[in-house]
Amino acid sequence: MTDLAIHTLDLHKEYVVSEREAGIAAALRGLVRRQTKMIPAVDGISFDLRPGEVVGFLGPNGAGKTTTLKMLSGLLHPTAGELSVLGRTPWQRERAFLQQITLVMGQRNQLVWDIPAIDSFELNRSIYRLSPADYHHTLDELTELLDLAPLLHKPVRNLSLGERMKCEVAAALLHRPQVVFLDEPTIGLDVTMQRRIRSFIAEYNRRNEATVLLTSHYMADVEALCRRVIVIHHGRLLYDGDLSALLRSFTADKTIVVQLGDCSNDLSAYGEVVSCDEGTVTLRVPKGETARVTSRLLADLPVIDLTVEDPPIEEVIERVFEQGAP
Amino acid sequence: MSGLIDLYLQQFKTTLAAMLQYRAALVIWLIGQILEPLIYLVVWTVVSQTQGGSVGGFTTGEFAAYFIGLMLVNHLTYTWIMYEYEYRVRHGSLSFALLRPVHPIHSDIADNVSSKVVSLPGMFLAAVVLGLLFRPTFHFVPWAVAAAVPALVMAFLLRFFIEWCLALAAFWMTRVNAVNQTYFAAMLFLSGQVAPVALLPGWIQTTAAVLPFRWMIAFPLELLLGRLTPIQTMEGFAIQGAWIGLGWISMRIVWRAGVRAYAAVGG
Amino acid sequence: MTILRLLWIYLRVGVMNELAYRVNFFVRLFQSLLELGTALAGLAVVFSYTDTLGGWRPDEILALLGVYFLVGGVISVVIQPSMEGFIESVREGTLDFTLTKPEDAQLLVSVQAVDLWGFIDVLLGSGVLVVALARLGERVGGLEAAMFGAMLTAGIGIVYAFWLILATCSFWFVRVENILVIFQSMYQAGRWPVSLYPGWLRYGLTFLVPVAFATTVPAEALTGRLNTETMLGALALAAALLLASRAFWRTGIRHYSGASA
Repeated sequence: MTDLAIHTLDLHKEYVVSEREAGIAAALRGLVRRQTKMIPAVDGISFDLRPGEVVGFLGPNGAGKTTTLKMLSGLLHPTAGELSVLGRTPWQRERAFLQQITLVMGQRNQLVWDIPAIDSFELNRSIYRLSPADYHHTLDELTELLDLAPLLHKPVRNLSLGERMKCEVAAALLHRPQVVFLDEPTIGLDVTMQRRIRSFIAEYNRRNEATVLLTSHYMADVEALCRRVIVIHHGRLLYDGDLSALLRSFTADKTIVVQLGDCSNDLSAYGEVVSCDEGTVTLRVPKGETARVTSRLLADLPVIDLTVEDPPIEEVIERVFEQGAP
Repeated sequence: MSGLIDLYLQQFKTTLAAMLQYRAALVIWLIGQILEPLIYLVVWTVVSQTQGGSVGGFTTGEFAAYFIGLMLVNHLTYTWIMYEYEYRVRHGSLSFALLRPVHPIHSDIADNVSSKVVSLPGMFLAAVVLGLLFRPTFHFVPWAVAAAVPALVMAFLLRFFIEWCLALAAFWMTRVNAVNQTYFAAMLFLSGQVAPVALLPGWIQTTAAVLPFRWMIAFPLELLLGRLTPIQTMEGFAIQGAWIGLGWISMRIVWRAGVRAYAAVGG
Repeated sequence: MTILRLLWIYLRVGVMNELAYRVNFFVRLFQSLLELGTALAGLAVVFSYTDTLGGWRPDEILALLGVYFLVGGVISVVIQPSMEGFIESVREGTLDFTLTKPEDAQLLVSVQAVDLWGFIDVLLGSGVLVVALARLGERVGGLEAAMFGAMLTAGIGIVYAFWLILATCSFWFVRVENILVIFQSMYQAGRWPVSLYPGWLRYGLTFLVPVAFATTVPAEALTGRLNTETMLGALALAAALLLASRAFWRTGIRHYSGASA
């Protein structure tokens, strides 16, 4: 087992939540006796990661991705199940364990706000007790890969969101961790920056063979980085395997959004009509049909605007959930 | 006019709801308001006892009476408006006040008075408890107590106007804390919070007579305690009136200048 | 030694933080001087009417004032900003970053925010102490100095543990910052000897909010009026509170990470 980077078996995490009905009587009762409910955030997950894998953890909000990540990084105690990262038990938070992992959370900063990023890097250097040689070597590599040179000496509060994220990622990797946990790292970033971060992670993994576990509810993140994907929903593992296979099986459709003048036309001949809202029609068509249906729509109807989209991830997940793992 | 009354009532309801939400903050505020006069009460009663029962025209019991009264008078006239405006300028919420067709001072006063309606029961309770513990000596004189009521109202207005002008400094400076602190330091001595004004060195007493602080706290307090002659009372009212007028004029000037400065920066 | 190393690196961060705002230095200096001036003026007025206050002579009260500023400075340099920062990090979720670092979390949390300009108060307080000691002259010997050092350390330890216990409550309750403001209100009372106050207030300032241990007790040691019971009591209380706050902290962390009780 020790050659696995991450090992989980039948992992559970339940939260106790106090429940209360509306009304004064219930409020008074609540003072004396609290009604509690067990909410399973993670409901029996098992998966293994080999060193060097880049795995995407996919699922809608509230699916249990962040909870799982927190258990793997030692922030949360599991309620039940087996769990080991690099051969150690995360929640014991041994120093040697913490020295080898890192956590990056989108939209949450560990960098000190008012000082240049480089000074926060120095802080991490001290905390992780890096030798000057190692530190500078890693810093140079990260600076090159992420174009950090113009950013390092600016106070963090003066950086744009994307620039800040680059620095956050760099700060998290200064100690060359073997396991990298990324929790929604691209959330809130513009498309260019998202791509930038993704390509960096891919390159970093290629150079350092670090194990990367990435959670996201953006399909694009996972598509760009991960060959293997784990789909989680309602705390349960729905799919663990090849990403392309998942896409083939479950995103067999494309969504076409057509803007017409009104909803008077019946477009069911072109594909499955999902909705019509003041002239904006949402159609679902099989992937292979997209080009054909699009050209027909443009030819036949007074189209004001037309876009072709992937179905939202929630729909894919719902479908995976309804139909079960292949 | 009825619109104004309605505004005050609405503000009262809003403040009341907010205060009841932040009960902890309310209690903490009260602790601070009680503790400071209490500390000086203890110090001066000890001094008085050491010196054989009286110092500078105050017996031990009269010191107790003074500081318990001070606690109430200070609380009644107290404002926190400079912190409010610093906050509003920093967070850009001043724009809302500027967009309203009513001068913002109305809702500010209403908020202040409403808060005190909630806090006064606690303060009175504290005064009663302190009275039981320290056995103050009161010399209430009926006409003086009656006169103290308008004196208190005028003291409140005076203090509010002046501190409102101070609050508007937030339009021009970010480091208003230094200015506020200087103001409070002066207030501490010149309004009779560290010691009754009569006990302060001569040159401080002269300064106190010339500045408005004395008329914000010490004057209504001494009047309430029956320590002023009718002539001193009349003089006091006159000076209060003059300062209120000055404060009101300053307010208008500073507000207009402030709005211009604020609008120039874009809010 | 880890404590010193971490304190040093966070101090560097604090310095760099503050030097970004140079004006702050002059503003804070002005404010501290104003506060000191006000306190001294108050003392002057009181002692123009009496020679002793509760058995304390003017120079002894001056020494007390020096301790008040010194300890207040230590609190404002690291204890207060770190604890306030910690409470905020629980609310914002950035505590998670601290917990994934390979250093003891309580240590990191306790030194993470250093407010450089609090040193102004430490310096001013030390200055006042030196002046007071000079005037007290030969009555302060080596023994008093040693006891003073011990009581000062114990006092700061007690205050730190007190703040930590209150701050740790933010794992369970949300609006804890308000409670910390109570300490600052009550600390004001430390400018005068706690023995001056009536019994109930003295009790509150000793056992509810440990202001007495922060200011009066070290000053008593310096002015030779410290009795053995108080000294041993302070040392015992410091040790007990530091252990208790550590245990409470660990309970808080376990609660935060959902460990079963």
